[in-house]
Amino acid sequence: MKMSNWMFLGVFAFAAGCDSSPVVQESDTTGGSGSSQYLADVEPEGALPVGEARKSVKDDHAVTLVGVIGGSTKPFVDGLAAFTIVDAKVPYCSADEGCPTPWDYCCTQNEVKGNIATVKIVDDAGKPVAADARKMLNVKELSTVVVQGTARRDDQGNLTVAASKIFVRPGK
Amino acid sequence: MLLPWEYGVRNLARRPVRTALTLVALATVVMLVFVVVGFIRGLEQSLSVSGDEEVVLVYSVNSEENIENSSIAARTPALLTASLDSTWKRFGVAHVSPEMYLGTRVKTQEDDGGLGLVRGVTRNAPLVRRGVKLIAGDWPGQGEVMVGRLAPAKLGSRAEVMTIGQSVEFEGREWMISGQFSAGSAAYESEIWCNLADFQTATKRQDLSLVAMLLAPGASPAEVELFCKERIDLELRAIRETDYYATLQQHYKPVRLLAWLVVVLVSAAGVFAGLNMMYGAVAGRVREIATLQTIGFRRRAILLSLIQEGVLLAAAASLLSGLTALTMFNGMAVRFTMGAFTLRIDSVCILVGCSVGLLLGVLGTLPPAFKALRESVAISLKAI
Repeated sequence: MKMSNWMFLGVFAFAAGCDSSPVVQESDTTGGSGSSQYLADVEPEGALPVGEARKSVKDDHAVTLVGVIGGSTKPFVDGLAAFTIVDAKVPYCSADEGCPTPWDYCCTQNEVKGNIATVKIVDDAGKPVAADARKMLNVKELSTVVVQGTARRDDQGNLTVAASKIFVRPGK
Repeated sequence: MLLPWEYGVRNLARRPVRTALTLVALATVVMLVFVVVGFIRGLEQSLSVSGDEEVVLVYSVNSEENIENSSIAARTPALLTASLDSTWKRFGVAHVSPEMYLGTRVKTQEDDGGLGLVRGVTRNAPLVRRGVKLIAGDWPGQGEVMVGRLAPAKLGSRAEVMTIGQSVEFEGREWMISGQFSAGSAAYESEIWCNLADFQTATKRQDLSLVAMLLAPGASPAEVELFCKERIDLELRAIRETDYYATLQQHYKPVRLLAWLVVVLVSAAGVFAGLNMMYGAVAGRVREIATLQTIGFRRRAILLSLIQEGVLLAAAASLLSGLTALTMFNGMAVRFTMGAFTLRIDSVCILVGCSVGLLLGVLGTLPPAFKALRESVAISLKAI
């Protein structure tokens, strides 16, 4: 092969190697099989439905809640193990209605307002765990979960649970 | 033995009118490809450079992906700053920009204008919108606006009627243009910016459309998102600005697919036009081709010479179109639903356009050349 051809090949190879696209490095330390330390093996007893808990639970009290993951188009927080749950009594679009995102409760939004709570999984220091809850707990939208933790209330009536244990009900 | 290179080149000059017509036809097809690919690249570029990785937009959860429809309480910026540590603060100033964003009819002094995008901002906006540069004039004061580089294109007006010192009218008020800004081809360039308080007075509104927050180093947008989930009563949602524009990219995916389909259709039409022209060109040269075979040139050599002619012509047409596109169409403003962007004749566009051009040269030559070479030499020599 001529010298000029080798030079052309060299320039081409150099140009091809100049891609400036960033390298994404993502580590998954939590595992994807739902075997997290935050998962409970046995369902805790005496779980309150979300709607009832919003009426009765006080700030800083221990609480066990049961609800369905949903309440908006994106119920999970990207980058943190947190999501919203809705009382199971609130209906959502059934599968045969063809709604692509039934977990946003598009037809029953007014009912959702009084029956929704935020769940954030916290570590021993009380900080939200920086992980994807879907991978960590092996859950998805409309999964039914039982959450054990401490309630956080504010003057506006919002309910957040700083959760230490989550039980995922089989089925959904 | 191959035919000499000069043979094909001279052949092109032997029939100047036919050559010129073929050249114009090929150049037109390649030009269309340049324009359509330039459109796609411009749209993609506009959305990809819009947004800042470190900026989070907080707006109403009810507006879905449409910030123009968002309405949030005026106290939201103060609430966010007080509740979150993730906002960047320097010299005691939190890098938070409360904004009101609206699509409204904007009239110029010359014409009725069109639907413009107006953003009411405070002096904090440049702290968060770091790509925005004031290129002429001053920051808008009371009753004043500054216009983006592509704002006239968005309104369908001439750039001359939107210069500093001129005025525009919207929301029942006249606004003096005090400055012009650029934003590195980002979506803001097609907007008009004015003072937030003035805009709220003009629109008789007290709410905001969104709050843009610059995150402190090491902070995560997830913290803001979690705050929005916890404060359900506020009905807010948070999204990283680049993710917001990425969702718009997805929204415009059908448009881009359609544009690529146009490229394929135009190229296919070009191939047929090229075929037609080349059939005509080769049909008149049947005796010449037969003579070449008689004096000993192989069919393969003659075929190569014909392809050489076609490719030469197509390459010339591609160059001509490329030069025209670069000098006349590159950077031309195009009005689009979300604002305006510029046609972008970049390396990808040149590559696609020239490849289509050269492909036309090869594909357009092959069928007529095969047809001419298939005839027997004796019959071809007697052809009229």
